[in-house]
Amino acid sequence: MLRATGVSRSYGDDTVFRDLTIDVDAGEVVAVIGPSGVGKTTLLRTLALSLEPDEGRVKLDGTDPWTADEAERLVLRRRVGMVFQEASLFAGTVARNVEYGLRVRRSWSERIASLFRLSGAADAVRESLDVVGLTDKTDQPVDSLSGGEAQRVSFARALAYDPDVLLLDEPTSDLDPRNTAVIEDAVGEASDRGIGVVVATHDMHQAERVADRVAVLLDDGITEVGPTAEIFEDPADERTRKFISGELVY
Amino acid sequence: MPLEPVAQLAPALLDGGAGPAASLLGVSFREGYVGSVIAVSLYVSLTAVALSTLISVPAAVAIGLTEFPGKGFVKSVVNTGMGFPSVVVGLVVLFAVSNQGPLGSLELIFTREAMIMSQFVLATPPITAISLAAVSGVDDGVRDAARVLGGTRVDVALVVIKEARYGIATAVLAGFGRAISEVGSVLIVGGNITSADGISKTRTLTTAIQLEARQGRYETAMVLGAVLVALVLTVNAVVVRFGDRGVTG
Ligand SMILES: Nc1ncnc2c1ncn2[C@@H]1O[C@H](COP(=O)(O)OP(=O)(O)OP(=O)(O)O)[C@@H](O)[C@H]1O
Ligand SMILES: [Mg+2]
Repeated sequence: MLRATGVSRSYGDDTVFRDLTIDVDAGEVVAVIGPSGVGKTTLLRTLALSLEPDEGRVKLDGTDPWTADEAERLVLRRRVGMVFQEASLFAGTVARNVEYGLRVRRSWSERIASLFRLSGAADAVRESLDVVGLTDKTDQPVDSLSGGEAQRVSFARALAYDPDVLLLDEPTSDLDPRNTAVIEDAVGEASDRGIGVVVATHDMHQAERVADRVAVLLDDGITEVGPTAEIFEDPADERTRKFISGELVY
Repeated sequence: MPLEPVAQLAPALLDGGAGPAASLLGVSFREGYVGSVIAVSLYVSLTAVALSTLISVPAAVAIGLTEFPGKGFVKSVVNTGMGFPSVVVGLVVLFAVSNQGPLGSLELIFTREAMIMSQFVLATPPITAISLAAVSGVDDGVRDAARVLGGTRVDVALVVIKEARYGIATAVLAGFGRAISEVGSVLIVGGNITSADGISKTRTLTTAIQLEARQGRYETAMVLGAVLVALVLTVNAVVVRFGDRGVTG
């Protein structure tokens, strides 16, 4: 469904990755593991169709957003959701945040009308808050949330408009085990709904728990992609093996 | 000869200031006078700041959200504009509306509209610069989130304005503070005129204080001064409050 082929990206003279290929299908969970600074966030932003690759192609169901016109690119981008490493919530209530993706997809007349309506949260908003276990915080302002709650709201916000692909950037990096379990269950729920999930993490155990396939990002490219068990038990690439076993320290 | 109108109108100017009306010192008259001076000040400054805000805030958001060559230069021009001497602005606007100037046919010389023009020019750099700083201070992550969640450019701009709202409010109030307490340009382009019955036409708090003090009517000058200080302090108090909230979230 979403596929990047031979993509390269650099910042100035710094090459982050080159000639990288990765794809995710509907309902599949792909983990991208790699040490800090290797380019996981950059890769996810490329897959989110918000960062144009220097070389190579990113295609969603066969369409390349970077050769399409702006309107078509927006349509494609709107089928992808991303949860950032930091929660990056908007000032306002939890409900306003979770509703954001739905709101920007409405017509301006509907949006202006909804400003004057005192309707409760939409079903989709309640549903996705339910997935992360935060229905009781619906009307709370986001600056009163704990870090873990904020991260979960951020997740619900990307889930609410039912994207085809969901990209998660270290979704549990600041979370305690209980919150981590909530998010990992939510990943499972998203994939059950048929959403393709790419999760970047430096936590190999998490990758083992949630992923169908694992991509190992080292140095300037993916050393290996394969079914989770294969990557962890019998990696084909020497660097992958060293990284997994902890011999390769970054 | 851009300065000719000033020379021609200088006697009229003095008449306006110290003509028959000024010799009447009845209390009720002075009250009407003070009220009209406040009204002119507020009308001119509020209009100028409102117009400037409509231009400055979108400009600040556009500059803040786009990368283009020369962005640093644009920022430094705006920042320099904050310190622009108001008398020079007055002079340029005076020339623009004078008979020989490009807007001469509109006959705006010594009108409130001309004062609005010069205050607009004065208020725009601070409003733009402070708004730009506020917009630039908005977390990149929040901008990215708006985009990635499906927002158009307009949606992203709206999110940024909302996040920067306290900074933008501070900017608008700072612009108002500069406009209302400024004396040089309104004196030049407005001419500090009252009508024959002593009601302010283009006399503002600042130019009135200047004139009353020079003519030894200290009591009136003090009343006007107190009103101006009260206005500016109120604005500053609000600025400080907004500023605090902007910092603490
Ligand atoms: N906007 C940018 N401008 C310049 N360099 C950047 C930018 N964003 C990332 N980089 C650089 O690109 C490299 C990859 O960064 P990236 O954020 O993708 O890594 P990461 O794998 O997500 O790291 P972490 O696990 O710490 O989040 C880093 O060396 C980083 O300094
Ligand atoms: Mg990262």
